[in-house]
Amino acid sequence: MTTQPEKTNPSSMDKLGVSIRPPGTCIPWEEKRRELGEIKGDEELVKRIWENIDALGYTYIWQVLLSF
Amino acid sequence: MVDAVEQRYQERLKRYVTAMRKGKPDRIPIRPFAAEFTAVYAGYTIQEVTHDYQKAFDAVIRCATDFDWDAVVPNMVYVWTGLVQAINLRYYAVPGTDLPPDVCFQYLEPPEENAWMRPDEYDALIEDPTGFLYNVWLPRVSRDVVPPGQPNTFRNNMSFVLGGMAMMDYFMALGRQIERLRRETGTVSAISGILKAPFDILADKLRGYKGLCMDLYRQPDKVLKACEALAPHLLHVAKSGADPAKNVPIGLWMHRGCIPFLSPQQFERFYWPTLKWIIESLWADGHQVLFYAEGEWNPNLKYIAQLPDLSIIYHVDRGDIFEVHRTVGHKFCISGGIPNDLLAFGTPQDVKEYCKKVIDGVARDGGYIMDASAIMQNDTKPENVKAMTEFTREYGVY
Repeated sequence: MTTQPEKTNPSSMDKLGVSIRPPGTCIPWEEKRRELGEIKGDEELVKRIWENIDALGYTYIWQVLLSF
Repeated sequence: MVDAVEQRYQERLKRYVTAMRKGKPDRIPIRPFAAEFTAVYAGYTIQEVTHDYQKAFDAVIRCATDFDWDAVVPNMVYVWTGLVQAINLRYYAVPGTDLPPDVCFQYLEPPEENAWMRPDEYDALIEDPTGFLYNVWLPRVSRDVVPPGQPNTFRNNMSFVLGGMAMMDYFMALGRQIERLRRETGTVSAISGILKAPFDILADKLRGYKGLCMDLYRQPDKVLKACEALAPHLLHVAKSGADPAKNVPIGLWMHRGCIPFLSPQQFERFYWPTLKWIIESLWADGHQVLFYAEGEWNPNLKYIAQLPDLSIIYHVDRGDIFEVHRTVGHKFCISGGIPNDLLAFGTPQDVKEYCKKVIDGVARDGGYIMDASAIMQNDTKPENVKAMTEFTREYGVY
């Protein structure tokens, strides 16, 4: 049912406000990783779960701003 | 085997989506943005539907069942005030607590000197919007949240636990409500996800309208950069709540971009570039936006016409719907345009005549969705909603 849309060119809009905490992020993995020291198991698993949980913190504040 | 309710759901979804893609369905879809009207109809107080979301959901189900609408918003009473009190937010007056139980919730804008964001804080917002919201904005808008560096409190800790748990509770319940609408009444959930214009976020939740107006003259470049800094985040939030099937649109609720809040020149410079970028980015991913043009937006139609064909559903509030149709009707589906004052103070016959005028004027070739101009609150008469619904069902057959 969807008409195929054209791709939009990137613009300057995706440069400001994203360097410290990109969209979807509160505490970036790189920052969290430094706290953890040696990871004896699967680092990708730790990273993925951290990013999923961290995204909830992002959702919280932006949803308070937008929806409440 | 598909049961009768599911079959009805599929028919309605097809009707609704076809119209939104500017096609001609079997008949005009009916998708009222029924807010506190649902309380009036279902016999609840405004306090009940604002504060007890289960009653709000029940009221929507009751309306969807009785009126047999094609699509509804699962809960159009915009704010669940249970969460407002969990976080102890300052910017709402809550029915039954701050207001009489039959008055709709109110948004409170602080005096300019106590704006949630001060005029010299643009750089902090631009550098790190999410950090600014947590560290500066939230401690100001919540009575309980303590800013970094201040002694911690029990209420501070509880605010995050209660707020987080309450939000999770509400969003999970909303998911169940969408499923319930489909299963019990065969009604489509009209929108999915939320979007606001960067400028509206600055005006509504950060600087306040008056403060922002001063900034447009005193520090216009900071306003522009703040809009640019907010835009990728608002795009991300919109995408994360969007319909994965890309059938129903993302709701965009606009406030301060129209006459008389901004001139068309200010709109072009401050409001439009970042919002246009977000909408184009969403459409590039196949997501339509329900462009809820609250107020009088016709002076800005030439800008809105720049958007890609089909990228929005243009919802008409106070603008001349016939001019909207002449100007952008070849590009976008149109919805709304039945005046709320008519639904509140007119007669069923008045409503039917107005619906006929709108259908004859803008809906002959498809690409139209029947609805009131603005959300229907507690002044809307049930008999007029019935007239709008029944007339459209009879006269709006293609």
